[in-house]
Amino acid sequence: MYRYDEFDHAFVAERVAQFRDQVERRLSGELSEDAFKPLRLMNGVYLQLHAYMLRIAIPYGTLSSRQMRMLAHIARTYDRGYGHFTTRQNLQFNWPKLSEMPNALADLASVEMHAIQTSGNCIRNVTADHFAGAAADEVADPRPYAEILRQWSSVHPEFSFLPRKFKIAVTGAERDRAAIQVHDVGLHLKKNDKGEIGFAVYVGGGQGRTPLVAKLIRDYLPEADLLSYITAIMRVYNLHGRRDNKYKARIKILVHETGAEELARQVEVEFDKLRDTELKLPEADVQAISAYFAPPALPERPEGWESLARWKKADPVFARWVQQNVQPHKNPDYGMVTISLKPIGGIPGDATDVQMDAVADIAEEYAFGEIRVSHEQNLILPHVALADLEAVYRGLVAIGLETANAGLITDIIACPGLDYCALANARSIPVAQEISTRFGSPERQAEIGELKIKISGCINACGHHHVGHIGLLGVEKKGAELYQITLGGSGDENTSIGEIIGRGFEPDKVTDAIETIVDTYLGLRLDPSETFLTAYRRVGPQPFKTALYGASSSAAEAA
Amino acid sequence: MTKIWRETGFVEHDPWVIETDDVKATEAQKPLLGLDALIAKAEESNEAGLGVVIKPADDVTRLQPYLDRLDIVAVAFPAFNDGRAFSHASLLRQRLGYANELRAVGDVLIDQIPLMLRVGIDSFSVTNETALRRLAENRLPGIPHYYQPTARRAEGGQAYSWRRLPAKSA
Repeated sequence: MYRYDEFDHAFVAERVAQFRDQVERRLSGELSEDAFKPLRLMNGVYLQLHAYMLRIAIPYGTLSSRQMRMLAHIARTYDRGYGHFTTRQNLQFNWPKLSEMPNALADLASVEMHAIQTSGNCIRNVTADHFAGAAADEVADPRPYAEILRQWSSVHPEFSFLPRKFKIAVTGAERDRAAIQVHDVGLHLKKNDKGEIGFAVYVGGGQGRTPLVAKLIRDYLPEADLLSYITAIMRVYNLHGRRDNKYKARIKILVHETGAEELARQVEVEFDKLRDTELKLPEADVQAISAYFAPPALPERPEGWESLARWKKADPVFARWVQQNVQPHKNPDYGMVTISLKPIGGIPGDATDVQMDAVADIAEEYAFGEIRVSHEQNLILPHVALADLEAVYRGLVAIGLETANAGLITDIIACPGLDYCALANARSIPVAQEISTRFGSPERQAEIGELKIKISGCINACGHHHVGHIGLLGVEKKGAELYQITLGGSGDENTSIGEIIGRGFEPDKVTDAIETIVDTYLGLRLDPSETFLTAYRRVGPQPFKTALYGASSSAAEAA
Repeated sequence: MTKIWRETGFVEHDPWVIETDDVKATEAQKPLLGLDALIAKAEESNEAGLGVVIKPADDVTRLQPYLDRLDIVAVAFPAFNDGRAFSHASLLRQRLGYANELRAVGDVLIDQIPLMLRVGIDSFSVTNETALRRLAENRLPGIPHYYQPTARRAEGGQAYSWRRLPAKSA
């Protein structure tokens, strides 16, 4: 893991002092709420429905046990004993007092954490594959590059007042687990034919009210040019991105209106002027940063194979958890463990201080003190010996985090929705809870197989509904909540935006509608290995429309 | 009350005026022309010592042929959240090599001034009361550890090529 040096410590301490001064000016009335807003946003402080919210950055979702314990401490000391892990691998606290936030930030700084640029119209927390450094299909670990981008973008004077927020995601594997094609910039690490590391650069993806899949604007960017090329993109966007309408201000709209080819040309012109400047990355710097991310020395643990087989035989519930929540590691004696934060009927992404502390302990004892946050709102232990899986599982059972549903229908992404969010039109959490409860039986989930449901409480799409295999969008119609369903979305290497299937459903009908869709899929799939998404791509929307709205649905729509 | 501030302190008797339909420079003052007007004037005379104001949507590189005849370039921040002038300033200093006075005009606030300094802006037209008071007290809220090279002269920072520290002498 990256460790702060003196420079980083000094920077974060100075940032806390700067924010403390701003908060004092707000509390004394010298700053109005309007004038304070852009300053607090730059430091992750939102004003929500009921209170201020503090969003803490977890760079590329990587945490140490020590940092996780500090998050538990903050939940206990400044909040109501829990926090909410987000789709951008961050953590939100919903109830801290503004006057206490500088102290919370000082506590965070003591474990090399902060809330810098977790909101505002600037370059946000850079996200990456949550299996980075452990996945077998990886070309290279994306986190060193995410860390270089994190540093370079921190309080960048030219790019702190962009037209709109800017999100960068990096993946190092062919399987895209970082959803790079729905980010403002997506970087895909690859090697050229000489075996040198570089990036395929995607630009202009995003969700919100205008969902667009990113365009590939450069097939191969040499590693050394990372900062010059990103600076070129940022400068073109800063100068030409729309500022007349906040809903058209993201770079995806600039790409869409300018055309990807013309935008790529503008970026290349700027890049040509920047590539041989002081932004060029020296190989030694890349190596020095990469050294921080060297995987832990993994001792050989072949005894795990036999033990695991024995434990699975003895305990079918444990066997199901292994089957669903443990993925193969690049070292065959190890596995990558997903700790589901989606208990049946629970709130997606929430964790209590007790759970956070316990996960920190488990990670320390069995997983080299390393924890990840996935964009699917779960926690990951990236390096666990097969021989330790049983002990890890028992530890998780003790805190209620043993739900065996990673990738299944109850592994739902949901935004905070109208229960917390000032922007929401509809609730998300209760809908997720009801669907989770309806499909909670392990046998039923297993029969359905891989199926990603994603729920947003408004058009801003924080719950990623556009890329849900089944997406739910809460809207408000005539004062009542209504849920629009989209099908066929996906946020992986074959990204697609889901299609709206028809008119929306009332809150008390929406779970039935999901069940109808699922039953329709089960009835038409070729065999159990054909996933929902594959089946949908084969048959299209009509069978689902017919099941939901009746046989006349296509005729009625044509009319 | 608008004052001009530079790192050496407040400037008395600044001559530069942004001309509008209602406001014209007096005999003792000098006009900050719009980009098109500046180019027209520069093309039809050999006059030097000119001033120009760059609006957010302007293409600042059009100034290139006239830079040696400019005493001042003002970049406009019509609202604090319109950050285009940060890129204009960067391009003027780093790409075009402009070395004379570079002034921020418009919504110039205390929390933005440290960032403006870093992209090479060295003159500030300030109206905001808090900003004026803090500048008078010499209390700038900046963070003197930088993670990126910018136009303003700086020392190499610790460890990595992209880091910078404030220059030891101004």
